[in-house]
Formats: sequence, structure tokens, C-alpha cells
Amino acid sequence: MILNINARILSKKEVAPDVFLISLLAPLIAQQAIPGQFIHIKCSKDNYPLLRRPLSIHRMDKDKGEIFILFQVVGEGTKLLAQRAVGDDLNIIGPIGNGFNIYPKSQKIMIVGGGIGVAPLIALAEKSVAEDKEVRVLIGASKREMVIGEELFKSLGANVDISTEDGSYKYKGLVTDLLKEVIQVWPPDQIFTCGPKAILRKIADIASSISINCQVSLEERMGCGIGACLGCVCKIKIKEKEKNNKVEYNYKRVCVDGPVFKASEVIWDD
Amino acid sequence: MIKKPQLEVEVGRIRMKNPVMTASGTFGYGEEFSPFIDLDKLGAMVLKGITLKPKMGNPPPRIIETPSGMLNAIGLQNVGLEVLVEEKLPYLNKFTTPIIINISGDTIEEYIELARRLDEVSQDKKIAGLEINISCPNVKQGGMAWGTDPQSTYQVVNEIRKVTSLPLITKLSPNVTDIRVIAQAAEEAGADVISLINTVVGMAIDINSRQPKLANIKGGLSGPAVKPVALWLVWQVFQTVNIPIIGMGGIMDAQDAIEFMIAGARVISIGTANLVNPQATIDIIEGIEKYLIDNKVKDINELVGSLKV
Repeated sequence: MILNINARILSKKEVAPDVFLISLLAPLIAQQAIPGQFIHIKCSKDNYPLLRRPLSIHRMDKDKGEIFILFQVVGEGTKLLAQRAVGDDLNIIGPIGNGFNIYPKSQKIMIVGGGIGVAPLIALAEKSVAEDKEVRVLIGASKREMVIGEELFKSLGANVDISTEDGSYKYKGLVTDLLKEVIQVWPPDQIFTCGPKAILRKIADIASSISINCQVSLEERMGCGIGACLGCVCKIKIKEKEKNNKVEYNYKRVCVDGPVFKASEVIWDD
Repeated sequence: MIKKPQLEVEVGRIRMKNPVMTASGTFGYGEEFSPFIDLDKLGAMVLKGITLKPKMGNPPPRIIETPSGMLNAIGLQNVGLEVLVEEKLPYLNKFTTPIIINISGDTIEEYIELARRLDEVSQDKKIAGLEINISCPNVKQGGMAWGTDPQSTYQVVNEIRKVTSLPLITKLSPNVTDIRVIAQAAEEAGADVISLINTVVGMAIDINSRQPKLANIKGGLSGPAVKPVALWLVWQVFQTVNIPIIGMGGIMDAQDAIEFMIAGARVISIGTANLVNPQATIDIIEGIEKYLIDNKVKDINELVGSLKV
């Protein structure tokens, strides 16, 4: 069940420039959350900025009743969130959304994170490992200091490859180029990804070219986060209605119909 | 012992246990908020605006945050009349809170057909009233076009009046030269209640791409930023018409709500605040009650239009 609670901030750490890891005491959310779901956060104590900010659940510790968020400061909301003090109460709604769907028959799981997009993928990797899947992770970043989660993924026993756009660490280039190379030697049963839209789109194309199930976690500007305002929609194909080569689509809510969608169903507009 | 103040109000034959209702488009079909609040505690619920046929809505981005407010251009995405009646209203049947259906049409015939059909099922589906949306800024046809001209306002309200005996609320746009003229036209045409304001038309620009931030270019501004505008328009309409007013526009807390009532609103609607705080309505009901106790006001109705000028 979705909750609206005040969660105590237990810890806060800057893990990369302008990237923060915050842990929250939220036992009921930690208990029921699944990888890929998010919480909708009131970053400010007043009405500026007005709207909440959706942030994916990075990890959950069911035993301690804690959830973690990992986020980059990109605007007013995340800036205020980064300034909140340990011991403060943060008003959050969650867990929200459908989450990733790991098929029982899948053996090999490929996880691709672009930039801060790795945030929800740690929880996913944890679950995949717990289900005895073979997990391979690709992390893409602009430069070395923006590589997030490498140690965490490795500690779970995942095989981790990294690309940096400037070549300052490991593979030089885009994570999508790295993916193309890796799938030649290690074709996965499923690909899960989160990151900038341009990267998701390329990964969707790669997955489709070799007919692999690919699930993407989408982002959109969000209002209520509970499916009421219809503000955060994306175009999703209507499968049975493909006539005259013209693809028909509906607007689906990223908040409650997603945020995870099958890559093959998403219409990637600009 | 402090005696509980009287919170009951009545607008256009719709009796409400308190003066707090929800604004169309910010409360879905009610069910979305049931994890957070007891829907039976609300004065009334206005559901997401409905059109005769399902509507896809506008492309994203549909929402942009602005200083102390937000712009939206949803474009009236909705399930259409029949799905509303068959799939959405049954859930609400178990609640005692009056249900008000917000209707929009591209043509006058569509408004009439919506009203006729809803009138037909109103007993069975416990529909307490209709809110005529003649003020949506985000659809190409219809919507606001009806509400910016007194003749067309009169025409649409009058035609709907002929096909239903349900209480009629006419929702006004602030994007007009003189809102009093429109309010009068609605009253003369047979509206039982006036609600205002719908959103204020606006836009936002990305200076790097030089493109509008909303795919629809323009959108409707709501939230605390519009409150002073809304308050002034409520006060103006209060001095003009004899029918009750539902006031809305940026109400975030009980203090805002009370301001609207002092300005002349008998009932107030919570819109954008629902998106920020899903239990805003309940917080506001409690806040109003506390204000009445603290100020020794026995009956909420004493507040309405009590502005001292």
C-alpha cells in the first residue's frame, strides 16, 4: 500500500560531486518496495519549490527498515534536498510505480546505468543476485569521478564494466557502444536500464535488433505522482492497432503505469 | 465545553458536510486519493473533467513548475462519458460525499448530450450536480472559447438547463476583460452556482533551446501564484450575482480557504494543493474548524462575504 509519511533522515553523504546518498527510516516502505519503484519527496518545508520530486528507491534494507535515495543536484528541489540535515523529517509518498520485472526463466541479466541512472539499479542487481541470476553491469559516465556504484555492484558479485565519455576510466566512449561489444560475447536474457533518454533510446534499439526483452525506467516532469493529474505521460504503443504502418499509441502515466516500461512499447519522440 | 461549530453548507441544492471540495483535474476520479484520505470526510468531490468521447490529451511535457505555481497543459485527457459511468462512478457509490461531474464539449450538442446522459443516470450513480467547464485553456476547440463571451456562456448554460434538473455549476475563466459580465450571463441562463477561477493562461520558455517548455506552448497557471487574482475575482463576482460561489485558485491551507470565504465563497475547492499534499483537503477542513472555534464563530456561513471594506 502506498503511504504518505514523515521519514527521518538517518544519514547523508556526497558520494560524487553533487551526487548525494541519503538514508531514510521508513520501515513500511522498505518492507514492501520492489526494485524500480520510487518515492515522491517534498524537498522544501514550505511551498517553494511547490511540487514534489520523484526519486527512485536506490536500495532498501528490510531488516533495519531503511530506504536509500541516490540523486544528483540538478535544480531547486534537489538542491534543497541535499541541504536537508540528518535528523530532519522528510515528507515522502511511496512506494510508487510498477518496478522492474525479472522473468523467472531468465538466467543472464544485463543492467545498464547511464550517469545517475544507476540509482534504482543497485536494488535490481541485489534482487537478481538473490534469485541466483548471473548479473552483468555496465556503468556509463561522463568522466571518472562521476562513475557511481562500481564497488557496490562488485560487492554483490556482479561483473562490472565501465565506460567514460572522456576515456578517463576504463572503456572510452558511450555505454551504448560498450553494450554492443559486450552482448556479442555475453548475450543476456533481459536488459534493464535507466539513464538519460537518448541512451535509453539507443539501448532500446540495440535490444530490439537482437530481440531481447528490455525494460527502461522513464522520467517525466511529475505532478501528483499518484496517477491523478495525468501530468507525467509518455507515448506507449497500442500493440493490436498497428495499421498502415502507422503506430497508434496512448498516453500512459509514468508514475503509476510505469516508471518501468518495455522498451519495445515506448515511442521515442524528441 | 466548546461546542463544535456548524460546518454544513448548501450550494445550489447540494448539501455538504463542510465547505471543502476538490477541483476538477487535480483529484482524478476520487479513487486515486483513497489510500490517503477518507473520501467521506470531504464536502464534495469534483471529478476529472469528462467529454463525450475519450480524449487523448496533449503531448508531454504537460507540467512545468513556475515560481510558487505550476503550468499545466493536460488537454483534458479522460476516459470518456461511458467509461466514467460504467467503470469509475460505481467505486464512488459507497460514499456519502456528493459527486459533481465536470463536463466539457467542443460543440453545444456535446454539452447537451453529456448533461442529458448524466441526468439519466444521476439517481442510480448518485450524481449531485454538474460543473460546466467553459474555461479550459488547454484544448483547441470549446473550453475557454465558451467562457470568454457572455452570449456563448448564456447559450451553453441555457441549453444544458433545458435537459437537466441537476444543480448546475458554471466554472469561469479568469482570462476575460470583465468576469462580472460572464457571471451574470451564467446566472441569467439558469446556473445554480458559480465556480472560479479556472487557471490563468501562461507560458514558460527554455532560453537555451528557445522553445516553450510546454509542448502545448501555453498552459494554465495554478498554485499560490494565482491566489491574489482568484481572490479579487471572487470578491467581484460576489458583489454581482445572487447565486452561491465556489472559490478556488491557489488555496494551500486553511488560512487561504478562509480568505476566499470572507471574499464571498460559500464553498472552496482544493486543486494544486492535492498534488503537493494528498491530504490537503482534510488538513484544511480541520484548520477551518479550528479557526471557527478560536474566533468563536458558531456557523461557517457567517464568514461568507464578511469582508470589511
